[in-house]
Amino acid sequence: MIEVSGLTKTYGRKRGVDRISFKINEGEIVGFLGPNGAGKTTTMNIITGYISANSGAAYIAGIDVLEDPITAKRRVGYLPEQPPLYPDMTVLEYLGFVFDLKKPKNLAKAAHIAEICELVGLKEHAKRVIKNLSKGYKQRVGLAQALIGNPDVLILDEPTVGLDPKQIIEIRNVIKNLGRDRTIILSTHILQEVSAICERVLVINNGQIVADDRPDNLSGVLSGDRKLAIRIAGPRDNVRKILRGIDGVVFADSTIQAEQGAFDWLVEAQPNVDIRKPIFNALAQANYPILQLKSMDMSLEDIFIQLTTKK
Amino acid sequence: MTAIFKRDFRAYFTSPLGYVFLAAFLIIINGAFYLTSITRSTNNLSLIHRILLYTLIVLVPILTMRSMSEDYKQKTDQLLLTAPVKASGIVIGKFLAAYSVFVIGLAVTFIQVLIVASVGTPNIPGAIGDYIALLAASAVYIAIGLFVSSLTESQLVAAVASIGIFVFILLLDIFYVFTKVEFLKAILYWVSMYRRFNTFYMGVFSLADIVFYISGAGVFLFLTIRVLEKKRWS
Repeated sequence: MIEVSGLTKTYGRKRGVDRISFKINEGEIVGFLGPNGAGKTTTMNIITGYISANSGAAYIAGIDVLEDPITAKRRVGYLPEQPPLYPDMTVLEYLGFVFDLKKPKNLAKAAHIAEICELVGLKEHAKRVIKNLSKGYKQRVGLAQALIGNPDVLILDEPTVGLDPKQIIEIRNVIKNLGRDRTIILSTHILQEVSAICERVLVINNGQIVADDRPDNLSGVLSGDRKLAIRIAGPRDNVRKILRGIDGVVFADSTIQAEQGAFDWLVEAQPNVDIRKPIFNALAQANYPILQLKSMDMSLEDIFIQLTTKK
Repeated sequence: MTAIFKRDFRAYFTSPLGYVFLAAFLIIINGAFYLTSITRSTNNLSLIHRILLYTLIVLVPILTMRSMSEDYKQKTDQLLLTAPVKASGIVIGKFLAAYSVFVIGLAVTFIQVLIVASVGTPNIPGAIGDYIALLAASAVYIAIGLFVSSLTESQLVAAVASIGIFVFILLLDIFYVFTKVEFLKAILYWVSMYRRFNTFYMGVFSLADIVFYISGAGVFLFLTIRVLEKKRWS
């Protein structure tokens, strides 16, 4: 549905985007993940035809955005980083204007706008003037604007920025529902968002794609289930002796005294060895109860930092 | 194009801008009418139309200063430029919106012709010629104002720069009087906005000058379209 090949965009000497290529299939929800200034917005601006690349091409449903911008733009709904709103208009006037601008075929204007307002939760605020809306509602108007004309492709630049936690969950659900019959690219630097919504993640750093995978694969590949954090009630030296005596343990050390008489331990196992049961049995035998045990699975944050800092 | 025209036209009247423009326009023009026609008891309206041409220097920037600048500032240019609309549609829609507000103001001044008609005999054909010339000349000013507005995201810079350019156009006539270089004189004579209006002032309807004005407006609209298209490449 969306294809980008060899996209390069320079700002002066700095490369905003450096030979990026990827393909997004119909119906996929793809997350663009990357630190600020990594090139997410630039890539989106190129796909939507707002700016042009210095080299390379972007295709929407096989249509070159540069060659035939009007046809390509008809298929895309875009929510830029800052929602493009006219503050003096009411929500209804504004959406009506966007409808007239996009001139979608076979859609009844009033019914279509009402449907979109319902979908993004703007129904009660449709008659309000945009400048009086809170940031979260402005963001929704921005999203509504992108949805006008039922485009096949939605490009959302940080769609949940500025929303409160409840609204974030609502908007994520809206996006998920939209993704059933649409292709969506959304950018974010919030990692939970990616794992909550996206089926695929493209991690961008310094204008290049550094990873392209499913969010759960990404964390599985890079971490492995090997590190455990355990809180054990018992004297340090004895516990250490027991832990280091267990088969498959390559590393065990206590970090801090977490509670009276209990220490936090970091234990690392050999690859593909499950050491949880042996640890439990050994400690139970010695009557040193385990108060807490958790796997130090790498979070997306860790992965993100690992991917974007290594050179 | 029609969507942009409608939105921009409405925006003039949902903000104070349209009212400020119309108020300033009508105060200046009716004041001038009082000072020239009424106090001097003349049926000659051409002088007012000449004054009107000068007042465009400050009036037009009120109309055009935010045409594009406001969109850059609010980032709504992203909406316009990623919508399935051509850059020419955006520019012409915005131009027509500003132009229509001006035409409303100009239409109101037609009352002056009626006032003169109620107490004497106005030169109707002359007045109509003046109006056509004003409609054409103001299109040039509005196109220039729109062009300047497309270059900056600051309304203030757009307004000041437009006034600067309009004053410069006015000064060209003075250069014309003082320059001794024949070649320069010929060029200045040809580009003068005011000299061309003089033909109408004299009561002659000159199609060539109308064509000059309309082409001038076309050139600046074209340049504005190019500015928008070039934004993609910057």
